[in-house]
Amino acid sequence: MGLFDAIDISGSGLSAERLRMDVTAENLANAQTTRGPNGGPYQRKEVVLQTAQPNGFATQLAAATGSVQGMGMGASQAPGGVQAVGIVTDPSAPKQVYDPGHPDANAQGYVLMPNVNPVTEMVDLIASSRSYEANVTAMQTAKSLFSKTFDLLR
Amino acid sequence: MTLIDNTQLALERAVSGASMRQSVLANNLANAETPGYRRMDVDFHDALAQAMGSADSATIEATNFTPTQDAQTMRADGNGVDIDTESAAMAKNGLEYEALLSVAKARIQIVQSAIGVG
Repeated sequence: MGLFDAIDISGSGLSAERLRMDVTAENLANAQTTRGPNGGPYQRKEVVLQTAQPNGFATQLAAATGSVQGMGMGASQAPGGVQAVGIVTDPSAPKQVYDPGHPDANAQGYVLMPNVNPVTEMVDLIASSRSYEANVTAMQTAKSLFSKTFDLLR
Repeated sequence: MTLIDNTQLALERAVSGASMRQSVLANNLANAETPGYRRMDVDFHDALAQAMGSADSATIEATNFTPTQDAQTMRADGNGVDIDTESAAMAKNGLEYEALLSVAKARIQIVQSAIGVG
């Protein structure tokens, strides 16, 4: 593991949380969309997160030269942050709302509305925003620690 | 007493242990929302205390730290990270890192002034 790993790891957390915020915002924006990309009502989306394996320059160099990675940590143990592996759609059934005047209403007068619950989305939004802040704090801590290390050279 | 004594070597290993712990804690925070992720931590104090016990400079210099992973999780999604605990551990680790660095730097400055470059 290299010197700036902590910053890279926090950076991976920042981009993962930002993607979650983007997807939550999309869900909220489409909470009333009755014509989604597949013809039916919009289906809510969710980000799938997975622990990432380190794959930076230092890792590649250590693998190529066969050297032991810093501090005796094997590649499988070394922390590599987080990555978004995909955005999946929530398969739960759409809500039925009685609104005979709606252009997308069926013969019985029901409209299929997206399976988006604004309360769930708001909670997700707050959760990802708090996680984002935690990652920013971690990155700032790492940055100030590294700059203190460089003071040793003065 | 040699120029770089066991205390100085141990300080350097402790700094790199604290730096590794910083990465591991940052990884916990980055994976706070990853289903099935179990939190990791490094106990560099324990490994270093054992090496210090040997009083052998080569042993101290070669001290390795291994991250451990929790066997238990506390949430329904299998994730064992609590953001507050991680932030507190990280703040503590950061202070410890700074303290170790200050001591290491002071000791280097003592040697520097003794050899007339400080």
